[in-house]
Amino acid sequence: MATNAATRSAADRAGPDGPADHAVRTEALWKIYPQEPRPVEAVRGVDLTVERGEFVAMAGPSGSGKTTVLNLLGGLTRPTRGKVWIDGLELSALPDRKLAAVRQNHIGFVFQSYNLLPMLTALENAEFTLMLQGVPARERRERVLRLFHEIGLEGMEHRRPFKLSGGQQQRVAVARAVLGAPALVLADEPTANLDSTTAEALLDVMQQLNRDKGTTFVFSTHDPRVMKRAGRLIRLVDGRIAEDVVRGGG
Amino acid sequence: MIHRIWWRIAWRNLWRSRRRTLLTASALAFGFVASVLMIGYMDGIVEEMVANGTRVVTGQVRIHAEGYEPERSIHDTMGGREGLDVEALLAAVETRNGVVGAAPRLYGGGLLSSGDETVGGVLVGVDPAREAAVSRFASALVEGRMPAPGEIAMGDGMAETVAVGMGDEVVLVAPAADGSTGNDLFTVSGIFSVGVGALDDSYALLEMGSLAELMAMDPGRIHEVAIAVEDIREPEPAAAAIREAVAGIAPGLRTEPWSIFQDQLYFMVNYVGAVNVYVAAFIFGMAAFGVANAMLLATFERRREFAVVRALGTPGGAIGRIVVYEGLLLGLISLGAGVLLAAPLMVYIHENPIDLSRYVGTYSFAGSAVRPLLTVEYSWAGPLASGLALVATGIVSALLPAWRAVRVPPADALANR
Ligand SMILES: Nc1ncnc2c1ncn2[C@@H]1O[C@H](COP(=O)(O)OP(=O)(O)OP(=O)(O)O)[C@@H](O)[C@H]1O
Ligand SMILES: [Mg+2]
Repeated sequence: MATNAATRSAADRAGPDGPADHAVRTEALWKIYPQEPRPVEAVRGVDLTVERGEFVAMAGPSGSGKTTVLNLLGGLTRPTRGKVWIDGLELSALPDRKLAAVRQNHIGFVFQSYNLLPMLTALENAEFTLMLQGVPARERRERVLRLFHEIGLEGMEHRRPFKLSGGQQQRVAVARAVLGAPALVLADEPTANLDSTTAEALLDVMQQLNRDKGTTFVFSTHDPRVMKRAGRLIRLVDGRIAEDVVRGGG
Repeated sequence: MIHRIWWRIAWRNLWRSRRRTLLTASALAFGFVASVLMIGYMDGIVEEMVANGTRVVTGQVRIHAEGYEPERSIHDTMGGREGLDVEALLAAVETRNGVVGAAPRLYGGGLLSSGDETVGGVLVGVDPAREAAVSRFASALVEGRMPAPGEIAMGDGMAETVAVGMGDEVVLVAPAADGSTGNDLFTVSGIFSVGVGALDDSYALLEMGSLAELMAMDPGRIHEVAIAVEDIREPEPAAAAIREAVAGIAPGLRTEPWSIFQDQLYFMVNYVGAVNVYVAAFIFGMAAFGVANAMLLATFERRREFAVVRALGTPGGAIGRIVVYEGLLLGLISLGAGVLLAAPLMVYIHENPIDLSRYVGTYSFAGSAVRPLLTVEYSWAGPLASGLALVATGIVSALLPAWRAVRVPPADALANR
């Protein structure tokens, strides 16, 4: 670990200070899956605060709860106990409709297996969130083309996903996640299916967006090289935060 | 508009499993064709049933004196015993919209004899010129012509029974209105064969004045005006107009469409209509099962995509809409294919009806001969109803798959659980 790393305890962050100031906040977050013979405690009391503009990696052994935490933050799963605030909005209080609106306007998702919609072109995939937000077609195109230019996807606009490489698909997925100008991008092992060079390139793109646009990233990973590039590294073990290290820069 | 994207996704989704879509669409299209042809065929049967039931003798609308039915007493003439101004009555009827013709009739019963042979029959006093527009007697003459004064035309069965031919004389004996018995000699002017046994065996036509004289009835006394209208399937509007028009001419007139005086026929027509609805419902119900099944499969295969779209912030309603749009588009595609298929088939069968009488003979129903023709009637109602049913089938079939798609749990689907 770098010498300027500081270890935070969750306790620093808990308390009634205004959750609206943070990109993410959770409080005593639990997720228990009812399961035979015993319920699975996937997340066991996670208190987490992520400031706007942070670039956070989440590591931990398989089954430690990384995906579950990301799903809880994104409102894809409802917590068994505890609360989640995104951009100051408390998710558990929201009905499904509002939750969809929060995802639409405040959160972007990137998945391990890209998950582009196969019947849409790269451009249509990228502009999907903008479409949901009701941004006019011309503006959508302009924003997509500008970003595609920035992240090396020029000329790929009208290709269907199956005609793109894995790295290209994942860049389209990142474009889709950030174009709606969310405060937070959640990425579950975004580089796991990519070779190391491509993974580095994707991280470059994410870091560039983080720097230039101030987008907050929280992503899970197994790859030590990826962890190294994070400004903050959270280690999960058995559904708890075992370590939370902030490094300078990021 | 944002909705365009849902249509676009729905449309492209349909063509992802092209074979399945084409298979489903052709099943729907065949359902449509079957429904259209069946309704057209049934319509043809109904049309023919109504034509045969009303064009032979009765017409589609008739006027009697109140109380004439069911006894049919010779005294119950229209306008009472004084009679009425027949020409004025006919003029009032014939000038109504939708009326093709009106024929006055005087009915009596009597015995016809020639040599040793005697037969009882229904004697009908007619206006030969007007009768042609309403009944089939004139067109069904196999020999001769309609009767002039002093002449008689009769069915071929009757002519055979009394063994007479053209130009022979027959003696008519008939009870008259004054209680006496009229009798006179008539010359056979024509022999008809309308194809209905009961008519050909026992109906004889006389010129109106001759029969009135035989029955000692004043001119102006008639029992019936039989009326042909344009829309034989829906005679009620014409009947209503006629009823109103004749009300001022004489009191106590009763104007009825065939749906009342041919109640058996009316029942059959309605029955066929109801059977049509059930058969069509069955056809599309079966189709709906197939379509729903195919769509359930398709939505299940796309669980992960629904989850992704969900994660990106798409409201549940929009996800359901994608699937419903798919069903709707599938319905429209099938409709297009169905129309392309049904139209030429319909024209062909309409132009080349298949005469089944060779195989099954003819039969008589509700007093009329029915020739079994395999044909289809042109109409808008059948294809329109079938088309609506088809599109509705597409939408309805998509409802359960849509509901399933809305309920895909995003986290589980993304993890392929
Ligand atoms: N829907 C579910 N039903 C039951 N158990 C679940 C469910 N989702 C996750 N789990 C369990 O919860 C625990 C945490 O799973 P999770 O997927 O969050 O781990 P992870 O850290 O992402 O692991 P990996 O590195 O393998 O992706 C595991 O034991 C997993 O089996
Ligand atoms: Mg995981």
